[in-house]
Amino acid sequence: MLHQNLEWYYPHTIEDAVKLISQQGVILHGGGTRILKTSSKSIKGLVHVGSLPLNFIHHTDGKTSIGSGSTYDDILRYAHKTNRLSLLAKALSEAASTPLRNRITIGGSLKDFPIWSSLYTPLLVLNAHLEIAGKKDEIISVRDYLEKGIIKSKHLITRVIVDDAPHVAGNVKRFSLIRFEYPVFTVAAALHGKKNVISEASVYITGVKGRFKHCKRAEKFLEGKSLTDEVIAEAGKYFSAKFVSDYRYSAEYKEHTANVFFTDLLIELKGGLQ
Amino acid sequence: MKKNFHINGSVKELELSPNDTLLQTLRNNNFTEVKCGCNEGECGACTVLLENKAVNSCQVLSMSVQEKEITTVKGIGTLYQPHLVQTSFVEAGGDQCGFCSPGMALAAYSLLQENPNPSRDEILVALDGNLCRCTGYVKIIDAVELAARKIAAEIKETE
Repeated sequence: MLHQNLEWYYPHTIEDAVKLISQQGVILHGGGTRILKTSSKSIKGLVHVGSLPLNFIHHTDGKTSIGSGSTYDDILRYAHKTNRLSLLAKALSEAASTPLRNRITIGGSLKDFPIWSSLYTPLLVLNAHLEIAGKKDEIISVRDYLEKGIIKSKHLITRVIVDDAPHVAGNVKRFSLIRFEYPVFTVAAALHGKKNVISEASVYITGVKGRFKHCKRAEKFLEGKSLTDEVIAEAGKYFSAKFVSDYRYSAEYKEHTANVFFTDLLIELKGGLQ
Repeated sequence: MKKNFHINGSVKELELSPNDTLLQTLRNNNFTEVKCGCNEGECGACTVLLENKAVNSCQVLSMSVQEKEITTVKGIGTLYQPHLVQTSFVEAGGDQCGFCSPGMALAAYSLLQENPNPSRDEILVALDGNLCRCTGYVKIIDAVELAARKIAAEIKETE
């Protein structure tokens, strides 16, 4: 349960929001869904980002900028209207349920990175970047954000930047028994190239030991090849991920299933690089 | 403490705590048409519309929505003047115990406001956050389709 004497703040500038979260026990509030899941008594104050100009999505110079206050639903509507962000939209459309997608913000999901989140996987394969405001204002790749531990620092994500990818075939698959369940893992691939030949591959999986894995061996194997049945069958041998056993599945079962999902993902991408 | 909220077209002063969810605030202030089911954002019994979009009120902190228009099931129609979505649920047999009905009706209403002629798949997506333990969903989806036909007929009549 959240503290009964919780303090609420409604800043109108990014600078004010950053100052507020430097206080002990004061955190950002986007849609609030994750905060309610944890409901920690150590939270003394909430800084509501709804009063900041962070709810926007626009496209300029070959890049789509998504304000961190945009909800999953905002992004899905934009993707549907513009035919952009298709890989991200696929992942988000399968996450949670309609009333939750109407509330969950992309900034909140990125900052908290719950183990079940399917959001990071497409952003990692698309080499998306984050604009953050904190002690230092900067634009960094999603990968650096995770690997360099910036995610743990006190900061405000202001926007997510996704480059256009005209010669990319991408796919994302999440493993859950029913649609509504949190995914056990999410695997995604983005294949760059033309005329069915892969010039560059990007493969990531989340939900694994250490949260995410960059599957470099699988990428290296795929580069320079066409997605034939033989190549797809062989690619599975170069894809591996380590999991932790839990009450639902053993680590071995997850490893095997992840491999099957990776192969299925490639089968669905066959013929996608025109 | 007391704060103003915009509910069903008018401003209401509600008593609340800073850590209250919207579900708690509404029910503690006699908006008992909003049902408490799982309290975890999974069942949809507590659905309300926030700026015409369905949300789980148990997953919304009240202090974050003071400036937003909130609609409960009583905001779309009353016992004596029900909305076509509500009458369609009755006619199609989409109501049984009735506990999920306020949330279902609001999710359907929100969908039809935006997409008056949804496909069955689009209805499934719009209602994917609302669980029913009685009907098996077929009659609920029939009810939404019936409401869409009735609304279309009503629009045609007024043209």
